[in-house]
Amino acid sequence: MGLAANRWIPNPVLYLRGNLAPLAALGGLILSICALASLYFWSRNQESHLREVQSVRERASADRRRFLHRLDHELKNPLTAIQAGLTNLSDEDLGEYLCNEVAAVRVQVLRISRLVADLRKLAVLENSVLETTMVNPGELLTEVIDVFENSASIQERNLALILPNAPRPLPDVVGDPDLLLLAIHNLLDNAIKFTAPGDTIEVRASENGHEIVIEVADTGQGIPDEELGLVWEELYRSKQARGVPGSGLGLPLVSAIIEKHGGSVDLRSIPSQGTVFSVHLPVRS
Amino acid sequence: MNTKPKLLLVDDETAITDRLAPFLSRAGFEVRVAADGEAALDEILSDSPDLIVLDVLMPRMDGREVLRRLRDKGDWTPIILLTQVGESAERALALTEGADDYINKPFDPNELVARIKTVLRRASPGQPPLSVAERLRSGDLVVDRTKRRAYLNAVEIHLSPKAILLLEYMVTHPDELLTRERLLDAVWGWDYPIGTRTIDTRVAELRRVLGDDANKPRYIETVPGQGYRYIGEVKTIS
Repeated sequence: MGLAANRWIPNPVLYLRGNLAPLAALGGLILSICALASLYFWSRNQESHLREVQSVRERASADRRRFLHRLDHELKNPLTAIQAGLTNLSDEDLGEYLCNEVAAVRVQVLRISRLVADLRKLAVLENSVLETTMVNPGELLTEVIDVFENSASIQERNLALILPNAPRPLPDVVGDPDLLLLAIHNLLDNAIKFTAPGDTIEVRASENGHEIVIEVADTGQGIPDEELGLVWEELYRSKQARGVPGSGLGLPLVSAIIEKHGGSVDLRSIPSQGTVFSVHLPVRS
Repeated sequence: MNTKPKLLLVDDETAITDRLAPFLSRAGFEVRVAADGEAALDEILSDSPDLIVLDVLMPRMDGREVLRRLRDKGDWTPIILLTQVGESAERALALTEGADDYINKPFDPNELVARIKTVLRRASPGQPPLSVAERLRSGDLVVDRTKRRAYLNAVEIHLSPKAILLLEYMVTHPDELLTRERLLDAVWGWDYPIGTRTIDTRVAELRRVLGDDANKPRYIETVPGQGYRYIGEVKTIS
């Protein structure tokens, strides 16, 4: 019975092997194609999602710049009038009390004027054409460090410049040397501000085949996770930056300069251990 | 006898002109005010000033248009432009503008007075200023501003883009104390913390290429603690 039953009840495996094998193979193929297709569409989706995020970010940044540009524009006329008015107040007519008050107001007007001037730097940079030459990254970094040579705060920190020599020294990049100097200067200045005497600051550079990566790393107080994306924004001042002098435009200027060079900026940080700012500059092959 | 230089101050912001006009009067000028470009042209027709301080952004007719109309009809009254934000240094330097000098808002009124005095001293009545000359000669040096090239003894010299702009600014402002701040503002478009070094590097490049000895300069003199002065005699080549 068992055998008879066995004979008449088709063995699913045999059945498949016998009759459906080509179909199964086809199904398998279709399934793999579907899987590949969905993987493809998923990744396309991811890509377009990333692109969307990127373009939202770029739009937000452009909006912010436009707003700051208008603000700058609206501030300059009143400031010109205030400066002229203050100049008309002659110190002899004022008496000691008013004289002190006017002096205090003058200082504040200068402070706003400086802010306006800093905002203008961003505007000028955006509207300008880069004047490029070949720039040697090693010489550039050496020059930046020379600028700080005599500052007391740099002498209280362990500053190291680390440049590769194997398999070769860093190749040149195409760039505006003055602007690149300013960008790296701002990163080093920032590192000094957020470290204490005794901390270490490393300025280092490497190449990865298609770009030069310049890093300014420190053993300072670090940046909390929630502030990582914000430090590149114009006028953003970290909670930790209270009491530290600065305009909130140093890092946005770095990012604007590097993007103008077709590069990108990045940072990673471990709170209370330190921060690494990196600049990626394309190398023309 | 009235020997006070006559100024025409053109700006649509009365908050500015009401403060600035009395200040300029006290500084020794006879000051008239116009609120826009059209009013400025009327004022100039009725009594031509010795110098015009001209805001760029104004309703009806802006400062650039006023400048263009005056220069088109051969009126070379010295003009100091009050430039707008985001103006690139190079555009402000462009000879097509025809302005004698420019200053960014907001400015220190004392700085404006210093600029006015310099431009008045430099200006020769009825003649185009050096700042609009296309070609300039200074000793063995020729600067062609339209081509943005320079020649020494008729041989082209090679300079970095910033050095040629700096040279251009210097030869169009001879015999003036050019502070580092002013050079940065004019040539680089802003001042910044490493500016001093940047200027000194480019001046060193100019001296090297021009074969100028800093201790016995023919072209660029160092003014210790302040900046530089272009000391070569400069003439327009027609």
